[in-house]
Amino acid sequence: MKKKSNYGKLIALTAFVLFTLLFTYSSLNLRNTDYGYEKQRLKNRKKELKETIDLLSAKKAILLDLGRVERIVVQKLGYDYPKKGQIIKIYGE
Amino acid sequence: MKINRGERKRVIIVFFSFMAWVILILGVLVKLQVFNYGKYTQKIRNQTNRIFSLHPKRGTIYDKHGDILAISVLSKSAFISNKDKGESGTLYGKIGKKISLSYKERLNIRKRISAGKHFIWIKRKLSEKEFLRIEKVNEEGFSSRIGFIDEYKRIYPQKKVASHILGGVGIDEQGLSGIEFSLDAVIKGKGGKVDAQLDARSQIFSLEYLESEIPGKNLHLTIDLPIQYFVEKKLEEVVKKYNAKGGSVIVMNSKDGSLLAMTSYPGYDPSNISHTKQSVLRNNALSFLYYPGSTFKVILASSALENKVCDVDYKFNCYNGEYSMNDLKIQDVHPYATLSFRDIIVYSSNIGAAQIGMRLGDKRYYNYIKKFGFGNEPDIRLPAAEKGIVNPLKRWNRYSSAYIAHGYEIYVSPIQMIRALNVIASGGYLVEPKILKSIDGVLFRNSKPKRIISENTSSLVTDIMVDVVDIGTGKKATLADLKVAGKTGTAKKYKLGKFRKLYVSSFGGFFPVDDPEITIFIVIDEPKGLFYGGDVAAPLFKEISKRVIMSQNIGYEDQKLPGVRI
Repeated sequence: MKKKSNYGKLIALTAFVLFTLLFTYSSLNLRNTDYGYEKQRLKNRKKELKETIDLLSAKKAILLDLGRVERIVVQKLGYDYPKKGQIIKIYGE
Repeated sequence: MKINRGERKRVIIVFFSFMAWVILILGVLVKLQVFNYGKYTQKIRNQTNRIFSLHPKRGTIYDKHGDILAISVLSKSAFISNKDKGESGTLYGKIGKKISLSYKERLNIRKRISAGKHFIWIKRKLSEKEFLRIEKVNEEGFSSRIGFIDEYKRIYPQKKVASHILGGVGIDEQGLSGIEFSLDAVIKGKGGKVDAQLDARSQIFSLEYLESEIPGKNLHLTIDLPIQYFVEKKLEEVVKKYNAKGGSVIVMNSKDGSLLAMTSYPGYDPSNISHTKQSVLRNNALSFLYYPGSTFKVILASSALENKVCDVDYKFNCYNGEYSMNDLKIQDVHPYATLSFRDIIVYSSNIGAAQIGMRLGDKRYYNYIKKFGFGNEPDIRLPAAEKGIVNPLKRWNRYSSAYIAHGYEIYVSPIQMIRALNVIASGGYLVEPKILKSIDGVLFRNSKPKRIISENTSSLVTDIMVDVVDIGTGKKATLADLKVAGKTGTAKKYKLGKFRKLYVSSFGGFFPVDDPEITIFIVIDEPKGLFYGGDVAAPLFKEISKRVIMSQNIGYEDQKLPGVRI
């Protein structure tokens, strides 16, 4: 009789350990999958941000187009070109 | 239970028929799943899997300061998924007016809708405004739909500036001209492939990357954008002032051959390259071949002094401006009785130059012409760089050296001329011009400079070229506070078998003479009215020089310049 109940405990303990291992494995696996999704989401976000940076750089470059800047300076702000004989100071670095 | 013979026979027939049916089914299954396994697996894959190509992002092109010259950004391309011709027509009618399309393109879209094509491009690479105007049209409940695909679009923020250097790309971002073409393999990157699994409704539910895309490499050029802009503006003014056919300017760092500016007029907008004439696309700084005229006397003087034909003070008879010997007839613009070797170059006497050429001799002269790089295309990594025309020695006649001495019987390009003049500036070394500074941050190494004349010869020729600017034909290139060395050139054009009254005016020079940093070469094609290089090209040299001095701080420390006098 005594022997029988020991077997029962052993089976219950093994089942418990197996169940715990299975539970831990599945939760780790789930978390791993979540990390995978998060990694992919961040990768996509990085790519999107890179594209946005490039788009903004292109817009900045368009706004700083030298022809456009010259037109604004002369026509809107009323600046004039240097006159003949005028000396433009050279500043060293 | 007993069965009779007839019944037993029927049972056997039914049993064998059943067995035959089972064997037949098994046979078909074996055929499908064993012998034709590969074929049917492929069939299923074809129905549920799609391979998509991923277009790589083209590399960005920057100037030497890191300012963007060309960049690719994501844009939307619009198409109609044509399920119902009538509805597609109405849908297109709603959006057609909101985007800019030519009459031909509109007609083509209408034709394709009527023909019942399922996929019809409306416009590729829409502008941001166009996309915002049409993006909400699908909310109106048509059965045909407007679809949008992300595609990279090449943008040239500086528009026409440096157009001949950059070139341009086609609708699929393939390089068509300029550096976009010559370094296409480096800039374009490598496309990737992705295997998409589709469900029954053709929706993607899983993606597998077969090959990942490799973006194109970024290029840094040696071009200085503000100088390039200034040079283009001033060249346009001069070409318009003299009603010329065109012109080219090259500004180069004398020491390492880096090009700070290189332009040809007329320019074009690289984003509109497909609608640009072939003649305008041509980079004349590299491919315009012309008689160099008197600028070639610098090469003559260097070759003669290097070969010790005479010293710089040796006097030549200049026959009062008219010289003829058998078939050889040469004239000078201003008549001189005698001129020294130095003054022949300073006052640009053709008669004197012809005599120096003949004294030098064909073989020695030819060898030096080749050493100065004529007849060889420059190693500049841009397409269409011409090698010019230098007749082989066996085709030279008895007067060839006399004609070539003052810049005829030889065809050169502006880039070859600046490379040759820079030999004097660099103390006798042939430095290859370079446009590429680095690829993805890795510095691009130019070929090693080759010594072709001695330092002494280059110093003697520099002195002569300083006199050209101070007292000779190039006075209009003089800078108030800085010594300049230069040479003028004016050559008649040879068209349809004879010399015409059409000219190519040029000026090449460098500064500061003590330790040259900048070499500039200018060519104006067919100026009207004034046509001498000293009148047309030299003043432009002066204008550009002042701007370059300002931005590069040239001569400031050593020569205590108060500034640049405008």
